[in-house]
Amino acid sequence: MKKPKLATVWCEACAGCHMSFLDLDEALIDILSQVEITVSPVTDFKDYAFPQVDVGIVEGGVGNEENREVIEHLRRQCRFLIAWGDCAVFGGIHTLRNWLPKDDVLRCGYVETASTVNGIIPAHEDIPQLLDKVLPVNAVVAVDGYVPGCPPAPEALAYCLKELLAGRLPVLPADMMHFD
Amino acid sequence: MENNIQPVKITIDGQEVFVNPELTILQAAQQNGIRIPTLCHHAALSDRGGCRMCVVQVDGAPRLAASCVTPVRDGMEVVTVNERITETRRTILEFLFAERNHNCMFCPQSGDCELQDLAYELQMDHLTVPQSFHEFPVDITSDTIGLDHNRCILCGRCVRACEEISGCYVLNFQNRGPDTLIGFDLNEMREDSACTSCGACLQVCPTGALYNRYRTHYAVKGHAKDWQTVRTVCPLCGLLCPTVSTVKDDYLIKIEGAIPAGNGQPEGGQLCRQGRFDVLKNSGRRLLHPMVKKTDGSWAEASWESALDLVVEGLTAVRDAHGGNAVVGLASGLSSNEELVCFRDLMVKGWETGQIGTLENSGFQNIYRIGPDKGQTFKEASWKKIAEADFILAVGTVTHDSQPVVGSLIRKRIIRDNMRSAGIGPNDFLYPYGTHHISVKNGDELLLIKAILSEAVKVMEKTASAPDVGKIFEQAAPVNVKDIVKRLQLDAKAESALDEIIRDYVDSDNPLIIVAEDVAAQKNLSGLRDLVNLALLKGRHGNDRLRLIVLKPCGNSMGAYKLLHLSDEKKQAQTIPKGGLVLLEQDPFQDTPHLEIPVGLDFLAVISPYRPDSLDDCAHVLIPKPLWMESDGTCTGLDGGEIAFRQKMLDAPAGINPSWQTLMALSARANVQLDYGSWDELRQKAEQEIQKEVSSEKA
Repeated sequence: MKKPKLATVWCEACAGCHMSFLDLDEALIDILSQVEITVSPVTDFKDYAFPQVDVGIVEGGVGNEENREVIEHLRRQCRFLIAWGDCAVFGGIHTLRNWLPKDDVLRCGYVETASTVNGIIPAHEDIPQLLDKVLPVNAVVAVDGYVPGCPPAPEALAYCLKELLAGRLPVLPADMMHFD
Repeated sequence: MENNIQPVKITIDGQEVFVNPELTILQAAQQNGIRIPTLCHHAALSDRGGCRMCVVQVDGAPRLAASCVTPVRDGMEVVTVNERITETRRTILEFLFAERNHNCMFCPQSGDCELQDLAYELQMDHLTVPQSFHEFPVDITSDTIGLDHNRCILCGRCVRACEEISGCYVLNFQNRGPDTLIGFDLNEMREDSACTSCGACLQVCPTGALYNRYRTHYAVKGHAKDWQTVRTVCPLCGLLCPTVSTVKDDYLIKIEGAIPAGNGQPEGGQLCRQGRFDVLKNSGRRLLHPMVKKTDGSWAEASWESALDLVVEGLTAVRDAHGGNAVVGLASGLSSNEELVCFRDLMVKGWETGQIGTLENSGFQNIYRIGPDKGQTFKEASWKKIAEADFILAVGTVTHDSQPVVGSLIRKRIIRDNMRSAGIGPNDFLYPYGTHHISVKNGDELLLIKAILSEAVKVMEKTASAPDVGKIFEQAAPVNVKDIVKRLQLDAKAESALDEIIRDYVDSDNPLIIVAEDVAAQKNLSGLRDLVNLALLKGRHGNDRLRLIVLKPCGNSMGAYKLLHLSDEKKQAQTIPKGGLVLLEQDPFQDTPHLEIPVGLDFLAVISPYRPDSLDDCAHVLIPKPLWMESDGTCTGLDGGEIAFRQKMLDAPAGINPSWQTLMALSARANVQLDYGSWDELRQKAEQEIQKEVSSEKA
């Protein structure tokens, strides 16, 4: 049987979910024998124009135009889209800025920080525009499965992949649920 | 009557159960071990049926019913869980999460939150509705209770706790619809409101909306699943409120009131500011080693052996030079009964000490010098009688600061039962609930009592039948009320209030007089006799209990009164002439002895959990002891008739022994023969001594 293909991306996130995935340690060998990871931050991919996959996994919220493009592309390229971690599921810690106007956030980050001298807010056509609010992935595209947690425990991520391999959409049991 | 109630048969999830027809579906399910998720329901509060988390299907009806407010009915068929019910509950949760800021990831309450627990239980792994990201205000004007409206789900538990548990009626809903907020009074900030900081609201808050400002962040607290709890009692006033304290890694996270309390103690998790918040304060530098003052006046660490030897040598030298009367022992009224027994035996047997007493002023015992006959004393009423009284007369300043729970119990009676009440004193602690208040300055209260007694006697002469009345009529010399009114410069309003207080008192069947400690401590014995006689006019509770409650300065003041034999006035410490031993239990409200401790004493040893800064100049040896929360012990209740065991919540710092062990080590060095050798024997001895009094009271 052909191995199912997997693509993982991260958007506005801290890489913690992927770290948690790597924390599966030797269990990864077993998982990798059953799936093929096409692109992933772990494989240091630079090009988002990847081919069709069976499962797309996203870590992180949608905070800028680039994130939105990546998510929309991944949605088109995958059969099932799974959101990993609080940022992808709820917006996560980045939503702290959702209570502030975008301009204030940029000014605070690039101009007003204590260590900044003559700071300017970066503006260039190559730099993706910040969205007004950080959004969870399901506010932008349809999502098929959710693994909340900051980060989700390695066991929860393994459970998610095993359910997918068994042909079911993952729904975390109550004892694996945590939001912090 | 209750036995005649026929149980009804209902079916819950296919299981037939027989239950009392007065129950709700939720109660019936809980009694039979069937879990229904709840949110606005709380075991200590009335039900509101507001959150709809507990919905169930009844008899296949299309509309789900809130089980917490739906009574059972014979033949009822209840389904507590199916796909539709779970979906409904999960959707309610999603709306709650989306409406305000419920991002557990950056919420300090995470890990100790009922909303979060429900989200896990119902597997709410995402939101299907967009979050509002609307900003609500935060009120951190108080140093005890924080209110973050962003985390509020408007379940109304706090509103109900404020009226039902605390009797404060400070919290309520304000505004409408999505703008609804929990508000203090008429939209005040917390600090400007009439809130007494009892914290009942934050104990019942299912989220982090109302939170304890002393232990805020989960980086400090960790998750509730890693906590240990200790059931114990609060020793800070004589009400002995049962508590559940939460500890993690020997660090006190929080203290909550026990639900249910049992033993007739304050119910529903009721505590006060002291018991809930002030105990979490860190109040000074801990004393971790015995310290000895060097000749140049600086302090040096010393070994236990040498420090204890120094104490014995120092006090013995004072006694040898000036006699036993020169040695004084002062113990904190927060000490346990066991510590007090040990302390008394050490002082009395070790140095024939003439004087012994408490750190705080325990002048309240002046009122016990008035008895039915010479050499006898009356016993005061239990605070539990507040629940039965039909008129309460509060004499002196009964403030929220000294006895908050007593204040709350009276307030609840006034509001719920329309109980009449009167206050005499500098300020009106029952405002705005009390019926009457006459403002007189401190010390003048007893003059008014004289007027009330004199007038009440006049009215009751014809009707009263209480056993003591005849004697009172002889003793109560008639006074001219007009003179007293003039002397106290009472206005017409106060004068008519006085008339009404007299009438209310005469008309009442079960009155109770509550006396503040400073009034009971007055040296004016004839005035105190008037007070006692006024109580006696209405007969006694049981055999010998006055209709009178005396408030005390400290939690175990009655234990100290009984165990240190303070009724013997000659032996009571008035000054410290030459040297002494002080057993100091520092807490946030009392950290200096009421007696002046002069600099230049021949010898002073202090046993304390903290470096006693106020005694730094005059002390010679410092011996560390555990805090009350770090040691076991028993406490005596407010009326002296009740003992409760206070279990330790924390371990003492390494190397610090329980103070009874230290006191016994001192006894051994001073060649004192004690009639107890172990903790169990000591505890038995202390209990016997308190009980001896109690049983003679009953006889």
